[in-house]
Amino acid sequence: MPVIQAENLSKVFHIPQKDPGVAGAVKALFRPRFQPKVAVDDVSFQVAEGEVVGYIGVNGAGKSTTIKMLTGILVPSGGQVRILGRDPHRERVANARDIGVVFGQRTQLWWDLALTESLGMVARIYDVPPTRYRQLLDQFAEILELKDLLHVPIRTMSLGQKMRAELAATLIHEPKIVYLDEPTIGLDLIVKERIREFIQQQNREQGTTVILTTHDLGDIETLCRRVLIIDAGKLIYDGPLSLIKERFGKFREITFDTASPVTTFTLPTGAEVVAAEERKLVLRFDRTRATASQVAASLMNQLEVVDFSLAEPDLANIIKHIYQGALREDGGRRTEDGGRKAEDGRPELQASLGR
Amino acid sequence: MALALGRTVRRYGGMASMAPKFFLAYSIWVWMEWAVQTIALIITSFFWRAVYTDQTVIAGLAQSQTLTYVLLALIFAPFVHSTGMIYNFGYLLKEGQIAVELLRPLDFQAGQYVWRTAELWVGLILQVPLFIVALFLGMQPPLDPRLWAVFLVTAFLGHAVLFCFDWMLGCLAFYVTEIWGLSVARYGFTLFASGLLVPLALMPDWLAGILNVLPFAQALYVPLSFLTGIAPLSDAPRVWLAQLAALAVLLPLSRWVFRVAVRKVTVQGG
Repeated sequence: MPVIQAENLSKVFHIPQKDPGVAGAVKALFRPRFQPKVAVDDVSFQVAEGEVVGYIGVNGAGKSTTIKMLTGILVPSGGQVRILGRDPHRERVANARDIGVVFGQRTQLWWDLALTESLGMVARIYDVPPTRYRQLLDQFAEILELKDLLHVPIRTMSLGQKMRAELAATLIHEPKIVYLDEPTIGLDLIVKERIREFIQQQNREQGTTVILTTHDLGDIETLCRRVLIIDAGKLIYDGPLSLIKERFGKFREITFDTASPVTTFTLPTGAEVVAAEERKLVLRFDRTRATASQVAASLMNQLEVVDFSLAEPDLANIIKHIYQGALREDGGRRTEDGGRKAEDGRPELQASLGR
Repeated sequence: MALALGRTVRRYGGMASMAPKFFLAYSIWVWMEWAVQTIALIITSFFWRAVYTDQTVIAGLAQSQTLTYVLLALIFAPFVHSTGMIYNFGYLLKEGQIAVELLRPLDFQAGQYVWRTAELWVGLILQVPLFIVALFLGMQPPLDPRLWAVFLVTAFLGHAVLFCFDWMLGCLAFYVTEIWGLSVARYGFTLFASGLLVPLALMPDWLAGILNVLPFAQALYVPLSFLTGIAPLSDAPRVWLAQLAALAVLLPLSRWVFRVAVRKVTVQGG
């Protein structure tokens, strides 16, 4: 049974509209006007227990609004959400016990208190037994390298330290579901790496279900097998990350190091030269027209190859391509794993989840 | 049942125990508060002595009685200031921090009440040095412990009534984006309506009658009137009954208002 169920979820905000100048301000005082803004539009998906799902999209696409509806903070304008069988808004307190949330730009810790006091308070609020709390605190302090920070007020911590502290506070009550809204925003590579390892460990050892929104595709590649892509409030992709790579990572690069300078050779079918140096050749090939082994074999028959390497498609470029409308352009083709058209006629790819 | 109660006490008790840490996080704030309040006590005592220069009694209140009242009112002002929810809700909404608060597995209103009451206690404890200063300025507090007991019961009941009323006012923050003006208006009105600056007994009867039944006076003027002899002790049961009746109406009403208002929450951005 899925732990998260979103069915035809929608959220419409009413944004105040004002004419410019003092006259506009006065007019708005007596006759306020509101413009409806559809932030989330008919989004449906399910998440099974123990899954780690990446939820991505450009700024303003509706990621955070969806997360806030899943957590029970916002009330959907349409559709429904069930989290562990509950309505998260109506049963807010019960729902809150089973979930943990990190908002990358907000904190649940108390600014003026030392970390240990904040964590102790969170543990009390969530009824964590004192012995279990001490075990988890030791464990988290070790993994997230918080030992030296336990007696430091939150306000004096760096961004990376705060985020590690935030993660500890989010997981100290061992929630069944964790929503991570941009948890690595603004962090350096080492901290990002540590946070990713921590999330992986929690998922592996505790079976924690994770929904992750991020602009950092490194997070997605490291943590998620499945991604949801939202664009202008609509879910345009729900499926394995590998399928996206396969569909949109059409071109792969293969680099050859040769024993002697490269002079002439015949390009294999579907391949083109990206770079050619004296003893190095970089080719790009269309994976739908040739396989890596075909390209490699063709070159090896013509040149004395010392070494070669194959580069997988770069996810950042693929996602950028999708954000720029690749799924819309590509939508005319129905895929064997369940591609379909959205009700508004816009092409949409919905991968079969097979769970 | 006992286990659930124990957990509830542990959760909310934990919150309450945090309040002193917040108050004492910045010691300069405590020192400044004492300095400003001491100046306020001194000016207030001089002002009322001046008012009584040519009279011994005004509207039935003797000089010593009024002086005791106004100085006690300043000392017990936390009873009316600690419930202000407009600015609090406005801040939570403006900063989007409401999202974090709503994610805590606590009854939001109960959590806020516990927090506010803990703040009130800390505020009252910090007023002890001012109480001593006020004694030197001519304050003559009663020594009868029954008066103090009645005062405390009335003040805490009044504080709960005012909290519920303020809670509903605070819910306006969900509908308007600018809450500073509203918050200042509430503060200004409270100064007079609670009897903090002037005893309501010195106001025209019709105005005092209106203000007396408003929640602001319930948290300060009404309890202080027992302590300063303005109202007889025998009035206490009637006052408590009225306060409990007000709570019986305002508590469910304030919870309903919040349930409706919270649907308007808009937390934009990540």
